Amino acid sequence: MVKIYFKLSDIEPMEIQIKRPETLDHVLTLCREQASIDIGEFIGIRNSRVITGEQIVENGDEINIFPAISGG
Amino acid sequence: MFSILRINTATGESKTEAFDSKEYLLGGRTLSSRLVSNEVPADCDPFGRNNKLFFCNGALAGTNASSANRLSIGAKSPLTGGIKESNAGGIVALRMEQQDIRCIALEDAPKSDSPWKIIVIGKESTTMIDGSFLEGMGVYEKSAVLSEKFGTKAGCVTIGPAAEKMLLASGLACSDPHGVCSRYAGRGGLGAVLASKRIIAMVILDDGKLKPTYADKDQFKVGVKKLITLLRENPVASKFTKYGTAAMVDICQSLKVLPTRNFRHGTMDDAEKINAQTMYDTIKERGGEGKTQHACMPGCVIQCSNVYPKKDGTILCSPVEYETMALMGSNLCVKDLDAIALMNRIANDAGVDTLDCGAAIGVAMEAGLAEFGDGAAAVKMMEEIRDLTPLGRILGSGCKTAAKVLGVRHAPHVLGQALPAYEPRGTKGMAMTYLSTPMGADHTFGFTLRDEDDPTTKEGKVELSKKFQVIGSRMDAMGMCNFVRYSVRDDMTPLLDLIKARYDVIITGKEFDDFVKETLRLEHQFNIDAGISAQDYRFSETFYEEAQPETGEKIDISDQETAEARNW
Repeated sequence: MVKIYFKLSDIEPMEIQIKRPETLDHVLTLCREQASIDIGEFIGIRNSRVITGEQIVENGDEINIFPAISGG
Repeated sequence: MFSILRINTATGESKTEAFDSKEYLLGGRTLSSRLVSNEVPADCDPFGRNNKLFFCNGALAGTNASSANRLSIGAKSPLTGGIKESNAGGIVALRMEQQDIRCIALEDAPKSDSPWKIIVIGKESTTMIDGSFLEGMGVYEKSAVLSEKFGTKAGCVTIGPAAEKMLLASGLACSDPHGVCSRYAGRGGLGAVLASKRIIAMVILDDGKLKPTYADKDQFKVGVKKLITLLRENPVASKFTKYGTAAMVDICQSLKVLPTRNFRHGTMDDAEKINAQTMYDTIKERGGEGKTQHACMPGCVIQCSNVYPKKDGTILCSPVEYETMALMGSNLCVKDLDAIALMNRIANDAGVDTLDCGAAIGVAMEAGLAEFGDGAAAVKMMEEIRDLTPLGRILGSGCKTAAKVLGVRHAPHVLGQALPAYEPRGTKGMAMTYLSTPMGADHTFGFTLRDEDDPTTKEGKVELSKKFQVIGSRMDAMGMCNFVRYSVRDDMTPLLDLIKARYDVIITGKEFDDFVKETLRLEHQFNIDAGISAQDYRFSETFYEEAQPETGEKIDISDQETAEARNW
């Protein structure tokens, strides 16, 4: 299972089962399909590091998805 | 043609000149930094008669294009000793456009004991009138008096008591759309530069009725709609509307770069007590005058600003933004939004930068003047700044001065300007940006945080910082709000098309970026001429010696690498 936590969002946390390591973009596509949600541009964080959509995630990963915002 | 109104603050004489160069067309930082570079001797006393203060609006000011009315203010900074551009929202840029003014230049300086003056700019004349009656008032009271005298729609710039005493962290307060001087060009001590010219306020009357003209009005309308669509469709901008910049509390906590305990740590226990959701819920629950979204300038569709209410629903402070929540919150271990908002209000009233003063209070807490987490003590220190006590004057001179006086080595600044709200040991991209901006530590100059695959390594960060220095500077370069950059990050065409439709002048993306890079070159050259050396672009040595507990990281960036990041 990959656990996805959508921060500052009304979207409930999701658990996605993947057969093999996949990109984060692919996992988020599965999230969209499973729950019909609009995720939009995001900042993904895994183990205190930014994870981009092209990077690989695997079962056991916990990823926080934030709206892509910056300070002003 | 674009007009520059030059006002001699010693004699009261004024004259208007007109230019039609692309630098004047773009306005914003493109113009303000060129004027500082060309007209201010780099080695001058920032408080002397040779320093000048330039107020510039941007290429799309006065139109109905969203987020286009930023006011860019340039001078030599008394805080950093180098060049400074600080910008603010509000209505001043719009009023300048309605008076057909691209730039107001305040030149020369009278004797230091000369009476305070107010500059009044209207369609018939530019005058300097007695301003002594404003002396000693807080910014909110000054703002109310100015509104009563000149109307709530006048565009005003004023200073607080801190600037009147030349404190180095003092800023310039500009009118918001409601006539309150709450939009700050806070950084670099420019409030004290205005005070050195014995100008206590500048007012642009609402009698300028100049309407914007367009080379191709229909095409401009198409361009405005396209920009609005881009802003509304961009999820970044849409999230700003709900949470504003406060959302960064959670993001920085997750990345372990939330400045905590005088920048000793990158996380704070119970950070959720001051995060965006708590702020949103508090504002909604209290209702009244509170607003979770608010436009700082007319016509902005992003509306990232807010109005934070007291428990009874009346306004406590507007806006309360992430940088302040971190520097006056987590950095002091203060976990109370009401205390943070109150400190912010006092800072606005005293006329000081919330970042530099928050950092100075962090230094004071490390020196043992109060316990970290003691919100009441932090509020009291802000009151000392407003009341101009000896300690308040030290804190109001910024964290570098405070650290020297109070004997604290771990002083969070670069070039004397306090670090913004990203602990640099945990984000080497932001660290590189802090170390390579000509303005002193400044996050808006190259916001790498979202794009650092591995934030704790310095590898690749010169290139990353330089990439975002260009992206971040584009908006300043033409007087747009920095948050528009998300919608045009990969393609500036929508904004350049608006320029074409307004002025019938073609500026290509490459030409525009060349202006941006030339601006950076000029700014760095000014600093070199001012005597700022490569060794000055460093953090305090403790950042190189002591690891941040959460990441185990120290600053390991060399002078050579920061020099590369400053090479344009």
